[in-house]
Amino acid sequence: MTTIVDLPAAAQDATRQPARRRRRVRSTWPIVAVLLGPSAILISLFIVLPAVYGLWLSLTNTQLTGFAARDPKFVGLDNYVYLLTSSDFLASLGQTGTFLLFSAIIGQTVLGMVAAILLSRPWVRGKGVFGAAILMPMVVPEVVASLAWASVLATSPEGTLNRLTSLFGAEPTSWLQTVPMVAIILVNVWRGLAFAMIMFQAALEDVPVELIEAARVDGASATQVFRHVTLPLIRGPVFLYLLLTTISTVGVFGLVYFLTRGGPGGQTRLAAIYIYERALQFSQIGIGSAASIILLVIVLVLGVVYVRLAKVKV
Amino acid sequence: MSAVSENPLVPMQRRRPLQPVDVVQRTIGYVLLVLLVLFCLVPFAWVLLSAVDQNAGATVQWPTWSFDNFTRFFAAPGTPMLVINSLVVAIGSTVLNLALGVAGGYALSRFDFRGRRFFMFSILLIRVVPAPATIVALYLIMVNLQLTNTLHGLILVQAVGGLPVTLWLMKGTVDAIPLELEEAAWVDGSTRLQAIRRVVLPLIGPGLGAAAMLQFMGSWGDFLTPLVMLQSQELYPLAIGLFRAFSERDHVDWGLLAASAIVYVLPPAILYIFVRKHLLRSSLGGALKG
Repeated sequence: MTTIVDLPAAAQDATRQPARRRRRVRSTWPIVAVLLGPSAILISLFIVLPAVYGLWLSLTNTQLTGFAARDPKFVGLDNYVYLLTSSDFLASLGQTGTFLLFSAIIGQTVLGMVAAILLSRPWVRGKGVFGAAILMPMVVPEVVASLAWASVLATSPEGTLNRLTSLFGAEPTSWLQTVPMVAIILVNVWRGLAFAMIMFQAALEDVPVELIEAARVDGASATQVFRHVTLPLIRGPVFLYLLLTTISTVGVFGLVYFLTRGGPGGQTRLAAIYIYERALQFSQIGIGSAASIILLVIVLVLGVVYVRLAKVKV
Repeated sequence: MSAVSENPLVPMQRRRPLQPVDVVQRTIGYVLLVLLVLFCLVPFAWVLLSAVDQNAGATVQWPTWSFDNFTRFFAAPGTPMLVINSLVVAIGSTVLNLALGVAGGYALSRFDFRGRRFFMFSILLIRVVPAPATIVALYLIMVNLQLTNTLHGLILVQAVGGLPVTLWLMKGTVDAIPLELEEAAWVDGSTRLQAIRRVVLPLIGPGLGAAAMLQFMGSWGDFLTPLVMLQSQELYPLAIGLFRAFSERDHVDWGLLAASAIVYVLPPAILYIFVRKHLLRSSLGGALKG
């Protein structure tokens, strides 16, 4: 920033009042259109338009194939009425809620916090190795993650989890058949724990050490310090994390679809899988779109709630 | 990751001998960490062991060492195509994404035009929409544009999907480059575009690397978009190939599947190591000193 002083006088003239124009030059529409135009058009076409078009589709009986495919009709809110009275869809929403609550909001958050706190202890040796190992589940593609867990949850007595439980004398269980929801929750906790850890590590580093030391000197226990000093200070990042993990957990598709295909008997048919089945396997585009819109509204409502709870300005 | 260890109060604590309470606390801490690490790593055991096992099955077993699975992977008629498709799509979408993102990010950083803040905020809001919620309408749009079941259609969708993040990253990266550097180039007779090429592009390396890695890994790991967009087997990327192979319930070739998984994991892993090293070396530091 000091270089401006060393510039020759001619440069000062050429750049006229550099201080005021330092960051941005006055608008020149043609060059902005050339540089930003393509991005804006493509984002409109492939991200904004699908959302708007989806809203329209949800009000029609559009089908991929068959009679209604040629001549889709406007059916008003019929699709929404159908969905909100359909036990399948309501069950699917309920499963999405269970999955979200136990895997993301409880599982990932608690384990991620534990990992972040442990790795912030000054006495821990080998932080890099521990951190890298915990990052592994997040770095691999989701198909590989599912494949790895298929062997853990395998039905045969040689399945990794069955071997583990047999140490405690339990009989082999076909995990994806008997407790499919618990199984996919476990898988998602495993997958998302590292992201929680990274977010919380960054937040914990911003907590002033003096505050914690002061509380310890005043006789607070480690739990009290965490509850009354650390937690209030990292409230903002925690709710930001909850917002991000809610969005990505509602968007989980491949991880679960690969393992269960929504089964058995629709017990793990998360909303994302319901939408995929309806729209692209049963080709009921209208109903699939209406389900998408309902899901979107729920995510937006949750987002607003988190922002309110976080008490941070956005 | 370990900034806490720099804190000045630690040496004072170390000087006094460890209390029994501390020992218990540390033991519990290490036990918890080891359990977490085991939880994170043990599921990968099957992939690693079965890939080099001649008689691999669906579950973990001690392998009969052989690289036969990899040989079969690259010799089989269908499987090398999966790798090529994945590479074409991931590299294609990354290049397109970065080209659009650098140009757009530069405009967002350097020009003050009406609607700039609105645009920045809108593309941030897009992040709130989960992918499955728009995939249906996107599919129909792609059908109308006759871009389904083509690799260039998939490249386009993935490149644009990651564009909001890239635009934000590149805007921030260009923000960090002082306008004075560009102005100096203008004074020396460069046109605006020449100044971008000679001054800005060499300096955005770290940001560009981060954006490239995010986009490549996002595209490489994407499962939903190719599942919806592609129908022909010869266009499948690795994600769908693995899924299909796994779905052949009774006659799954487990060894080949595990080898494919290893091949699938390698590029993002290599990229991760490579880019991480480069990210540390910031080239901006020296530019302003002279």
